[in-house]
Amino acid sequence: MKILRALIKKEFFQIIRDSSSIIVAFLLPLVCILIYMYGINMDSVHVTIGIKNDDNSPEIAQLVNSFSSSEYINSVCSNDIKDLENKILRSKLKGLLIIPNDFSKKLERGQSADLFIVTDGSEVNAANYIQNYTIQIANQWLSNSKYRATPYIVTPLHRCWYNQEMNGYFFILPGSIAVTMTMIGILLTALVIAREWERGTMESLLNTNVTRMQLILGKYIPYFILGMLSVIFNLIICIGIFNIPFRGNYIVLLFVSALFLFASLGIGFLVSSVLKSQFLASQIAIGVGFLPALLLSGLVFPIASMPKFFQHFTKLLPPRYYITFIESEFMAGTVWTIVFKTSVFLITIGSILFVAVYKNTDMRLSND
Amino acid sequence: MDAIVVSHLTKMFSNLIAIDDLSLKIEKGKITGLIGADGAGKTTLIRLIVGMLAPKNGKISVLNLNPIEQKAELNQKIGYMPQKFGLYEDLTVLQNLELYADLKNVPHDFDKLLKFTQLERFQGRLAGALSGGMKQKLGLAVVLLSSPELLVLDEPSVGVDPISRRDLMQMVRDLISPQTTVLWSTAYLDEAHSFDTAIVLDKGKVIFQGKPTELAKTSQEFENKVIDLMGGYQKKVSKVAENYTCSNTNNVQYTVIAENLEKRYGDFYAVRNNSFYIKKGEIFGLLGPNGAGKSTSFKMMCGLARPTSGTAKIMGIDIVENPEKARSYLGYMAQKFSLYETITVEQNLEFFASVYGLHDNKLKKRLEEIIDIFNFKEIRNQDTSELPLGFKQKLSMACALIHNPPILFLDEPTSGVDVVTRREFWNHITSLAKKGATVLVTTHFMDEAEYCDRISLFYRGEAVAIGTPDELKQRVGAKNMEEAFVNLIEESDK
Repeated sequence: MKILRALIKKEFFQIIRDSSSIIVAFLLPLVCILIYMYGINMDSVHVTIGIKNDDNSPEIAQLVNSFSSSEYINSVCSNDIKDLENKILRSKLKGLLIIPNDFSKKLERGQSADLFIVTDGSEVNAANYIQNYTIQIANQWLSNSKYRATPYIVTPLHRCWYNQEMNGYFFILPGSIAVTMTMIGILLTALVIAREWERGTMESLLNTNVTRMQLILGKYIPYFILGMLSVIFNLIICIGIFNIPFRGNYIVLLFVSALFLFASLGIGFLVSSVLKSQFLASQIAIGVGFLPALLLSGLVFPIASMPKFFQHFTKLLPPRYYITFIESEFMAGTVWTIVFKTSVFLITIGSILFVAVYKNTDMRLSND
Repeated sequence: MDAIVVSHLTKMFSNLIAIDDLSLKIEKGKITGLIGADGAGKTTLIRLIVGMLAPKNGKISVLNLNPIEQKAELNQKIGYMPQKFGLYEDLTVLQNLELYADLKNVPHDFDKLLKFTQLERFQGRLAGALSGGMKQKLGLAVVLLSSPELLVLDEPSVGVDPISRRDLMQMVRDLISPQTTVLWSTAYLDEAHSFDTAIVLDKGKVIFQGKPTELAKTSQEFENKVIDLMGGYQKKVSKVAENYTCSNTNNVQYTVIAENLEKRYGDFYAVRNNSFYIKKGEIFGLLGPNGAGKSTSFKMMCGLARPTSGTAKIMGIDIVENPEKARSYLGYMAQKFSLYETITVEQNLEFFASVYGLHDNKLKKRLEEIIDIFNFKEIRNQDTSELPLGFKQKLSMACALIHNPPILFLDEPTSGVDVVTRREFWNHITSLAKKGATVLVTTHFMDEAEYCDRISLFYRGEAVAIGTPDELKQRVGAKNMEEAFVNLIEESDK
C-alpha cells in the first residue's frame, strides 16, 4: 500500500507540474464545447437561397414573400438564372427554388404542381435542411392560400420527441464529454508509460520493490481520478452554463462514465506499454482511440448510414455505447436497458484490456 | 566470497553478439571498475547482472540469487543507477528521495545523504534544474537510500566535471560499508585505476581482470596499457586532415573573437563579460564545471542564442548582425547527438552536404570522399540509431567537416566515447589545426585539455583564467591539468 501510495503521489506531482495534462483535462473540453456550440452548427441557420419566380400571379408573390419573412432561411430573388447559378458556384447561395410559370394555373385546376428545388450536394447537411424547410414553407403557404382545398396535399404533423427545439447542441454537447474523456483516457495515458521508458526512469523503478500490479495501478488510479474530475467539470459546463436539459440520474451518469473511463484507460495504457516511444504512442493512440471515438461512434455520423462492415466494427468501440447512453441519459432520462447493456459491455472490454495491459507490461528490457 | 558469479554467458541482439561466452567473478566488498570500448558490452553485462535483460545462454548468480527468477528478492539488496540516472526531472530533489525511499521501503531519513551530497540547499529544486554534477549526486543518493549490498553504477560520470567526479568518488567511498560490493562502469581510466579491481571488456569478452596497480603504477601508464589490451592505438597520419583544405584564406588576424559576451536571465548571469581572441590554426579550449556557462557561450558564438550584450565575430563577420554569413564559416558539433536517428549514415551525410550547398556530381564526389576518409564503408547503410556512441560522434564530426569550414566548434566531442576513439579524435583535431583550422572545443577530460594551445577556464559564468596549459599549471603549482583545474576553481571560490 505504501508503495502504491508513493507511486500515485508521484504521478500527481507530475500531472500538476506538467501543464499539458491539465490542458487536456480541463482546457481542451472547454475549447471543444465552444467549438461545438458556435463553430459547428449542424442546424445551418441563415443559409441563403435564390428564388426565380416565373409565375406572376399575386398568390405566388405571397409564397415568395413568406420565404423572405422566414427566420430560418434567407432568400434572394432574381430573374437571371445564369446569375443565380453563378452564385451557387461561388457558394454565395446554398440552394435555388424555381417556381414554373404554370404553377398557379395547375393549382387552380386542382392538379398537382411542381416546385423545382436545387441544392448544393457538396454540403449534405445544408442541402437536406434547405429541402425540408422549402417544402415546409411551401406547404404552410398552401394551407393558408386559396388553393388549400386541393386534395393532393397532405400536411404531415411533425413533433420531435426528447429535443423539441431540435437543438443540435443538446446532443452534441453531452457527446463531447465522451470525446474529451477519450482524450484523457487514451491520448494522455498513452504518453505516460512511454515517457518513463524514454527518460530512463522505468529502469530505476523496476529495480525497486515495485510489483507489476502496483506499477499498473499506480498509473490507472491517478488518471482515473483526473478523468472523473474532468467529467464533473464538463457536466458543470454543459448543465450549469449552457443549460442543457438533464433528465437522467447523476449517480447513474457518473457510474457509467467511470466504467467508460476504465475502458478508455485500458486502450491508452495498452498502446503505451507496447510502444516505448512517446511520439509513436501518441500517433497510434489518436489513430486507434481518438478518431474512431469521433467518427465511428455515431456522434457525428449516424451509424446506420455507415457501410455494413463499419457498422459491425463500431460494436467493438466503447465510445459508441457510451455516446448512446449519455445522449439518452440527457435527453430521455435513465433508460435501464441501455444502462445495463452499456455497463456490461464496458466492464467486459475494460477488464479484457486491463489483463492485456498487465500481460504486456514488461518488467525488464525487451529482448531486441 | 564472490558477490557475482557469471559463467559462459551469451547474449544476442537479433544477430549481433553482445556478450560472448563470458565468465567472471566479482569479489564481495570490493570496488570493481568495468572498462571497455563503445559497444564492448558494458551496459548489456550490467543489465544482465541486475536482471533487466534475460541471457540467451549461461548462468548468472548475484548475491546467490538468480537475477531473472529471483528479481524481487534481488531488488531489495541492490542499488542500481542506470545511465540516465533514473531521476524524475519534474519532481523536486526531496520528492525524488521520498519516492524512492517509499519504493525501497526505507524510512524518510535523508539528513546524512543530503549533507554528504551538499544538496541540502536544493531540496525544493526540480531535479531537472540541477547541474549535471548535482543530478549525478542525487542519483547516487537515491540508490544509496536502502544501504544496498551491491551497488551498480553505469557510467555515472559521463559529461561531469573533474570536481564533481572527485566528490562522487568520495561519496561512494564514505557512504558504503566495508561489506558493500560496487560495480562501476566508467570511461575515465584514472577512476578505474583507483579501484580494487578492473575488468576490461572487448567485443563481449573479458580481456583483463585484476588489480589496476599491478597492470601499471600511474593512471597514465594504466591508460596506455588498457589501450594496448584493446588492440592498441597506432598514431596514424590523420586522413581527415590530409583531405582538408582550409577553404577561406581571408586575412583576418583573429578568426574567432568574443567581445564582452553576456547572457542574462533576469538577475542571473549565465555568461558575463566573456572575451577572447583566437588566431588561425589555434586550438582554444573552454573548460569549467557543469553549469559554468560553456554551452551558453558556445550557443551565442554560433548564433543559436542571442547575447544580452556584446558580440562575437567569425572571420571578421559579426554574428549578431549577420548570423547566416558568419555561420557559413563554421562546422558545429553539438553536445547532444543532433543528427537524424531514423535515417542511414549515408543519408545523414548527404543531407548535410546538400544543406551546405553541394549538389549533383560535387555532392556525390564529396560523399564518397568523406565515407572513405572516416571509414564509413561498412556502416554507410546502417540506421544511425543503431550505432554505438563513438561512431555517432564520428558521424557528427564528419557532418561538421563536410563543407571544409575554416572554423570548427566542438562541444564535448568526446563525451561518452572510449579511450581509443578519443585519441583518434584528438589526432584529427590537432592535425586539422596544423592545416589552418581554428578550433574551439569544450571537454571534461583534463588530459585532453593538454592538447589545447590555450585554455579559458570558466566558472560561474566568468572566465577565471586564460592561458596555455603550462601557464595555468604554473600559476597554481599543479603537476597536471586536473590539479590545476581544481586549484584554480578553489582559488576563485575564496
